[in-house]
This record gives sequence, C-alpha cells and structure tokens, in this order.
Amino acid sequence: MTRTPPSETPSRRTLLRWGAAGGAGLALSPLAACAGPTGAPGPGTLTLGLNRSLVSLDNKLNQFDAAVTVQRAVRQALTAIGPDMRLTRVLADRFEMTAPTTWSVRLRDGIRYSDGRPVTVDDVATAVRLYGEVAGSFILGLFPELPEVEATGERTFLLHTREPVPILDRLMANILITPAKDNRPEELRSGVGTGPYQVAGANSGAGEYTLARVPDYWGGRPPVEQVRVRFVPEESSRVVALRSGELDVIDTITPDSAEQLTGLPGVHLEQTAGVRICQLFYNFRKPRGHPLADARVRRALTYAIDGESLVRDVLTDSAEQARGVVPLSLQGAERTGSYTYDPSRARQLLRSLGADGLRIKIIWESGEFAADASVMEAVAEMLKDVGVRAALQQFEPGGDILKWRQGKGGDWDVIGNGFPGTTGQATTMLQAMYAGTAEDERTGDAFMGYVIPAIARQLSDAATETDPATRDRKLAAAQHAVWDTWPAMWAFVPKTVLARRARVDGVRLLPINSYDLTAVRLEG
Amino acid sequence: MSATLTPSASSARSSAVTARHLARATATRQRRSARFKLWAGALCTALVALPVALASLLPLPDPDAQNLAGRRVPPLTDGHLFGTDQLGRDLLSRILHGGQVSLTVGILAVVVSGLIGIAAGSAAGYFGGWIDTVVSRLLEAQMALPLLMMLLLVVALFGPSVTVITCVIAIAQWPEVARLTRSLVLVEREKPYVAAARLLGMRSWSVLGRHVIPNVLRPASLVVLLLLAQAVLLESALSFLGAGPQRPFATWGRIISDGQDYITTSWWLVTLPGLVIALLVVGVNLMGDGLRDRIRTTKTTKPAKGA
Repeated sequence: MTRTPPSETPSRRTLLRWGAAGGAGLALSPLAACAGPTGAPGPGTLTLGLNRSLVSLDNKLNQFDAAVTVQRAVRQALTAIGPDMRLTRVLADRFEMTAPTTWSVRLRDGIRYSDGRPVTVDDVATAVRLYGEVAGSFILGLFPELPEVEATGERTFLLHTREPVPILDRLMANILITPAKDNRPEELRSGVGTGPYQVAGANSGAGEYTLARVPDYWGGRPPVEQVRVRFVPEESSRVVALRSGELDVIDTITPDSAEQLTGLPGVHLEQTAGVRICQLFYNFRKPRGHPLADARVRRALTYAIDGESLVRDVLTDSAEQARGVVPLSLQGAERTGSYTYDPSRARQLLRSLGADGLRIKIIWESGEFAADASVMEAVAEMLKDVGVRAALQQFEPGGDILKWRQGKGGDWDVIGNGFPGTTGQATTMLQAMYAGTAEDERTGDAFMGYVIPAIARQLSDAATETDPATRDRKLAAAQHAVWDTWPAMWAFVPKTVLARRARVDGVRLLPINSYDLTAVRLEG
Repeated sequence: MSATLTPSASSARSSAVTARHLARATATRQRRSARFKLWAGALCTALVALPVALASLLPLPDPDAQNLAGRRVPPLTDGHLFGTDQLGRDLLSRILHGGQVSLTVGILAVVVSGLIGIAAGSAAGYFGGWIDTVVSRLLEAQMALPLLMMLLLVVALFGPSVTVITCVIAIAQWPEVARLTRSLVLVEREKPYVAAARLLGMRSWSVLGRHVIPNVLRPASLVVLLLLAQAVLLESALSFLGAGPQRPFATWGRIISDGQDYITTSWWLVTLPGLVIALLVVGVNLMGDGLRDRIRTTKTTKPAKGA
C-alpha cells in the first residue's frame, strides 16, 4: 500500500510560497520610505508651483499673472507697479513728463546685467522697438502707441509720443529690458537680465526653471539663494505638493483648494483684492446677420446667467460679479451696470429676436481662471434652461487657443478669458480690449474682434487727455458706451489667493497677483 | 517506483488517493478556480454593466441637471445614493451615464480592433511571405511606441470626439489580437484538414475563411474580451488627461479628474467612480481568465473522451 506523506512536511509549493512572500517583503520594504515627504526643496531653495506653463522668461507674448513674479526676477523694466498700485522706479531713477508728448528718463547709475554688461540707452530703444514688431503681442495692445527713444546722454533719454500718453510711466512697467545684442522680436528663451536672479537651468518645454541668486545684484543681495519654478497644472497635485512640502508657494488657487488648506499646520493663505477681470466674452467677428452680431441678442443671453449663484456656490464668494467693463478697483473705472438673472426675460427676448434655439460654442483654456471648468459647465446648463444649446471646447495649456482668439483657428461664439490690470489704470485695460481698429483686426490683434470705431476714438481721446479729471470723465463715458454694446455674457472679478508654506516669509502679494522675490525669505 | 492501475482494478480495491486528496488535487483546484473566476467575474461585470445599460430606465436624475445649492452632498443624503458632485449633479447618475460613453467606446474599440487583428493576423499566419513580413513589422513598430503618448498625439491631431477616441483605441489594440491570431493560424495551417481542403481544390482565401478562422476564433475572441478592460481603462485615462470627449459629457476618467481637486474634502467624488472602474476591470479580467482556463481544461479532456 502506498504511504501518504505526512501532511506536516512542507511541500514544494509551500516552500515556494514562503520564498515568494519573503522575496516580496524584501522587495517592498524600501517603499516604506515613501511614507514620508519626498522631493522637498533644500533649505536655501524656494520652489514655486505655477498653474500655467511658463514657456519663456520674456513677456512679449506671455504674461499671465503668476508669470510676472518670475519674469521680473530675471528681467526688469524701467518702472514697476508696487504695493497699493503705486508706481515705483526700477531701472530708471527719473521718469518725468516734461511736455505732453515727451518724457525725460534717466537710467539708474551702476546697473548691470547678470553677466556684468552695463545697461545702455540703446538696450531700452531696442526693447521698445522689438515689442512693436511681435505679432499677437499682448503688451502691444496696452499702449495707445509705442514711444520713440531719443538718447540725450549716456544714461539719459527722451521718450516721444505723437499724442500725449499720460500713463506712459506705468505702461513702461511692461517693457522688460534685455541687452540689445541679444534681443529679438520674439519671446526670448534664454538670455540675461538685470534682475536679482539669473537662469541656472531651464526646460521651457516643461515650464521648469532654476534661478540662481545674482551675487552682485545692484539692488542688494536677495535672501533666497535659489528659486525653482515648476509647472504643476493639476490643482490637486499642487495642493498635495504644498502640503507635503514639495512646493513652497502655489498661486491662483480655487476656493475649494483654499478651503482644503485653511487651518492646516505649516500652510498660510494670502488673499488680496484682484485687478483681473474674467469674462465670457462674445466673438465680435460674427458676420452681419448672425444672432450674436446683434447687441440685443447678446444682452438677452446675459439674463440667462445666474451670476449670484455662480459667485456664491461655484466660486464660494472668492469673486464678485463685475459691475463695469473693467474691475472697479482700477483707477478711472466706472460702474456702468450689473448682470441680472432673469431666465424668463431671456427666453422672451430671444424669441422676439428670432434667436430661440440658438446654438453657441464656448471655448477657454484650462487655468484661465480658478474653477474654470465648473463655471463653464454651470453656464452651459443655465443656457440650456433658456433654450440655448452650448457646446464646450476646453483647450489644454500649450494648445493653440491664441490662434482661435485671433480668429485663425476656428469658429467660436463665446470665450472664457481673464485679463489682468497690469498698470492699475482702467485706461490701459480699456485700451487693450476695446480700442481695436480695423488695422489691428487685419492681423487678428483686435481683442476678440472688438472693433467699434466710435468707442476706439472715445478711448483714444481719453487716453491722450492730460488733465486727470477730464480724462476720468471721458473714460467714464467710453465705459458706458462699451457696456451698451454688451461685450460679455457674464464677467466677474476674482480675488487673488496664494498659499505658502510657513517657512516662506515676506510674500507681499500685490493686487496684480505677483510679488517681489527679493523680499521673500526662507526660515528654518 | 510507479504502478499502473487500470480503472477496474483501482475501483475494486482500496486506494491511498482519497476523495480529500482528489479535492485538493491541482486539476480539481484549477477547475474550481476557473468556475469561481467565471462566476465572480460575471457578477462583478454585471454589477456595473447592467445598471450602466439600464441607466436611462432607472429612476435617476438627469446626469447634467445641476443644483448649485446642493454641491458635494455626501452619499446617502437627500436621496443621492452616491452623493453629488461639485456642481450638485447626482454622482450615481453621472457614473452610470458616463459608463455608457466609456463602455460604448470600449466595446466599439475592441470589436474594431478584434476584426482588424483577426483579419491581419490570420492573413499573416496563413499566407506568410511578404504579407507576414508587412503585418509583423507593422505590429512590432506599433508595439514599440509608448501607447498613451501615441493616443494623446492622435487625439491632439484629430480632436477629442467619441469616434476619434474609439478608432484610436481600436487601432492601438489590434497588435495584441493579430499576434495571437497569427500564432494560432501558424499551428492550424499545418493540420491535415487544411491540406485536405487544399487537395479538394479550395482557394486559399476560402480555406482561411471557412476552415481556419472558425477554429482560431474562440481563443482569439478571449483576448478581445480581455482587451475590453484595457480599452475602458484607456478611455478613462484619456478623459482623465483631458483628451476625452468634450464637456459636459460625463466619462469615468473626467469624473475622477474633476473630483481629484476635492479628494481631501469630498472623498466620494474620486473613490466611488474609481471603485466602479476597478469592479468592471476586475470582473472582465476574471471572466476572461475563467473562460480561458475552461477552454484549456476542455481541450485537454476532449482527447480522453474520444479515446
């Protein structure tokens, strides 16, 4: 008779199982290290997590809010917009209007680029000229006209304009100065600047930069030795990275993320009133006869949007509905009206105008403003309630929405767009958005195709007015005229929110959603 | 030392192999395991697929109907079994309706990839020569490419729509089917019934279509079934990365992608759709594994029956 082997003897299979279990234990034990924070920056390194890819440290085409902080750390302008939207002089120590169309400027003594070259008047003249040669420039639209530079000495020069530009000193805060020899009519991928930091490493495709402190910076040694800039598009990833200590500062966070971070040990929130306006802007390139070419239809659609609910529930009170065509915190801004929610009126007006059953396409780029996708989906549903079918098209960062904005990518009806108030003056924003001309439109540079000559003339007239009181009066009239064209289906002004680790100190967040990196300190 | 026992002899006398031993035997365990996998897989798949298929008939709110005052309501509150999302939409309804998009894309993709893969693989295996060379090099080239990157590239070029995503996933998956079909046909074409068909004067395409393909269809279709889980995962991955069908279409990937911003405050927005995807993928894989094991067992027992 065959003997059955005693069951307590371990079989080959049992031995294999034990072996496999032991091997797996050994292999996985290093994973225990993953429980702690990883990739934390060094004690002298500040790591910033941006929500949009910083494709360049130049601003000829690309100047979203958070980019300003980093761009100004490498390249600087003659002036800057400081706390309380006051003008501060940076590379210039004198910037005065000597005649209605002439400004006298003197470069600060002893200013050098990070490679040791001195800043010259020729650098300023070249920079101004090249900003004017860039197609699709965001900066160019802010200027009624670009000034001409006339050198009067080694450090002094005059800025001439054909018409008076009373806020030229503020506008020049957007022209970053680069050595004339290295400057090109395009966004510069490399190069040097006069800022407190120089580029130690760059991967512009991934939006990642390493900035090293300039040892002999003219403005004094910045406290932070190294700044790392990372592009982290996912809001949740940025929040998790901040919580784990992988990132030190994250900007433009949604109210929901702010709620998650509130009260967490080691994390602080900074909030300030914003000067950015976010709009659902109509496409003004629609042919005559199209429903959206009719201001009455555009107005009717505004009644479909429950702005109060969007601000209260989706944006959780981190924004306020626009009551003008620019944020009221800008100097010279005028309260022109408000958005009213009245869906039955919307339906009735659309029916009477023969626009019921309208189909529209709404486009936007991810990250254009906080909670962008939620706002758009909510708007689409509100439009559905009044019989308007809205198709949504979301562009990922780095996509070709710029072409679409210029009318060269495809047809659309409404765009979700945020526009910053870079100078603190209403006139700059109004000029950029509503003073487009037929000539601008030939290259697609008129803001969303908004070309209304009468309004452009009004704005131009106001922009060249040297008397502040008269200028404000003319600007107010122009803003009412803009409002009456119903350029946006809905608009809101978000507050600026930033989160930082407790070890980061000195982040003085400005309303223009940027801060001075030279004031930032790291503790511990 | 081994002894050969005839059935009659073994039944006539007592044996050391008891019923307990038989129950613990590898073959029995495998059979039991295959049955378990099949049933468990079918159950998991049905738990997801049936409600998804019947989503329009179930008493659920509209998946796009918003209630901004009722945002991020937890599960089992105010009649919302799975809670609500960041715009106050019923999460269960969105998951089930989103599943219709994800499953439709998945099923269409595997059907198309199955057809392409079986046709190309069988032609390569049966005819050999330049057809085999072309098909083999094509599938090797495609398998060498990073799959997700390739999908993202195609979607970026042609735009994210259900049709494009279906075609892209189908084209991404055909090499798996083609490779297996080619190897199965290589075995089949050497069998006597194929030679007999040729001798009878049947054309090559006819032999392939009428005799060879029906014999390899069963194992090949099993791979196609397993690819369904992969296709659903791919569609979810594309949606998660923002390359899925445009909003407001609810797809599983997008529901998770949108929900991840609220992961610490509203766990259900990510966890519940994640569980549904996991349940479906595990279910389909278990079912495929079970069917494969069953076919393998049937194949090995068939000759014994015939002997």
